[in-house]
Amino acid sequence: MKALRVLFVAIVVGVIAVAVWFGTRGGTGSIVIGGKIFTEQTIIGEMAALLIEHHAGLSVERKFHLATNLPMKMLRKGELDLYLDYTGTGYVDILGKPYKQEPPVEIYQYVKKVYPEKFNAEWLSPLGFKNTYTLTMRRKHAEELGVEKISDLVAHKNRLKAAFDPAFLDRDDGYPGLCKAYGFEFTQSPGQLVIGLMYKQCKNGQVDVIDAFSTDGRIAKFDLKVLEDDKRFFPPYDAAFVVRGEILRKYPKVREALELLAGKISNRTMQELNRAVDEEGRTEGEVAQEFLKSEGLIP
Amino acid sequence: MSGLWEFLHQRGPTILECLGQHVYLTVIAMALAIGLAVPLGLVLTRTRRAATPVIAAIGVIQTLPSLALVGLMVPLLGAGPKACITALFLYALLPIVRNTYTGVMGVEPAMIEAARGMGMTSSQILFRIELPLSVPVIMAGIRTSTIICVGIATLGGIVNAGGLGLLIWIGIDRSNDALIYEGAIPAMGLALLLDGLLALGERAFTPKGFQLARQEDREAV
Repeated sequence: MKALRVLFVAIVVGVIAVAVWFGTRGGTGSIVIGGKIFTEQTIIGEMAALLIEHHAGLSVERKFHLATNLPMKMLRKGELDLYLDYTGTGYVDILGKPYKQEPPVEIYQYVKKVYPEKFNAEWLSPLGFKNTYTLTMRRKHAEELGVEKISDLVAHKNRLKAAFDPAFLDRDDGYPGLCKAYGFEFTQSPGQLVIGLMYKQCKNGQVDVIDAFSTDGRIAKFDLKVLEDDKRFFPPYDAAFVVRGEILRKYPKVREALELLAGKISNRTMQELNRAVDEEGRTEGEVAQEFLKSEGLIP
Repeated sequence: MSGLWEFLHQRGPTILECLGQHVYLTVIAMALAIGLAVPLGLVLTRTRRAATPVIAAIGVIQTLPSLALVGLMVPLLGAGPKACITALFLYALLPIVRNTYTGVMGVEPAMIEAARGMGMTSSQILFRIELPLSVPVIMAGIRTSTIICVGIATLGGIVNAGGLGLLIWIGIDRSNDALIYEGAIPAMGLALLLDGLLALGERAFTPKGFQLARQEDREAV
């Protein structure tokens, strides 16, 4: 009886000790990099970490896989120092501006101008890719029908079967807004599918038109064609680092390190990198390192 | 077999890291919850009028969906383990307070009468009679809370608190079932392990005579 009690208390103390050790260790990097909970955010976050370690000589702490609205909140509180964001998100979601088909450059210039005064943070140069909603079709099918841009779908609206993810069907910047902007609807009302299934169904020909994020690795994998948004209905989502002003003043080399990525990653490249993680099961860190080496950005 | 070995070699460190964070979230929250809820339950047995409203108030917390509770902690405490642990702590309170209260109240009045007859003071009665006799009921409350906490701690994954939930969230995002299992199976294992540990505690702290009586009851049935 007594031995049992001693054993129990010993185990409990042990478990608590392990728990406290786990909770209090680490967290000593001088630059904290954040990321939202999807693949490309972690890959680019790893690239930022490697570049800062190599070119600014600073230690880095990673806070990846955060709910999408968290990084900006944490940055404003000083809980993280930089993360990758998209100009459209800054413009529409964070600054609350209505999107009126302004060209991408204007959106970028606006957020770049407003962030320092408003949040004491700065947008660095765009990396090159845009992660926006798009409509896609099987490449072969689109070529057969001669569909290049979204307006071209009007001629085929009676025959094409569409399916969208639930959020896209519901959002004003999704299907309802798209119908208004382009002045057409699919005759057969679009089906609703979760993202994972949508791509497969499109590839297999069960549906013809789906929505997609323009950097999703599955676009490349399934040989889908992204249709041109010729009426600029979808806001531009140019990817660029948002960095706390204090960090840029204190460590000027952080800016230099991160600017090495400016304009280096196209949509196609981002799709390939995402695919390497999502489909080939490689780690984000590996993929990031390999890319930086192939570009000669780290030794 | 070599496939399993390779899997553990590749994914083991990540899973272990997440498991460690998960243990951290759950165990700290439970330790805090037990530290508050058991004394509170005991105090309520001495101030019975307050018992119903206090237990009802704690019950209200539990009606709040766990996702909302964790989400609401983020603006208050910032994204991180603190927010997650606080939410888990609040969630763990009710079963422990309620079971402590009911357990002590359920002790045979004749036993308390006898103790009083022997000249025991109120606090002696509490610590020598009422508390030991209600160990199984209190422990049942603690075990329920622990299992709930291990499950809810998976929400830590999206508020920068880490844990096995992280693997599950990423798995859902990438429609990668393997990742979901990598998070879910260790979480189940952890729940079972902690439950087993508490069962051991229950046995260790239940008075011998009472254990015997229960065994005889069982045999009689």
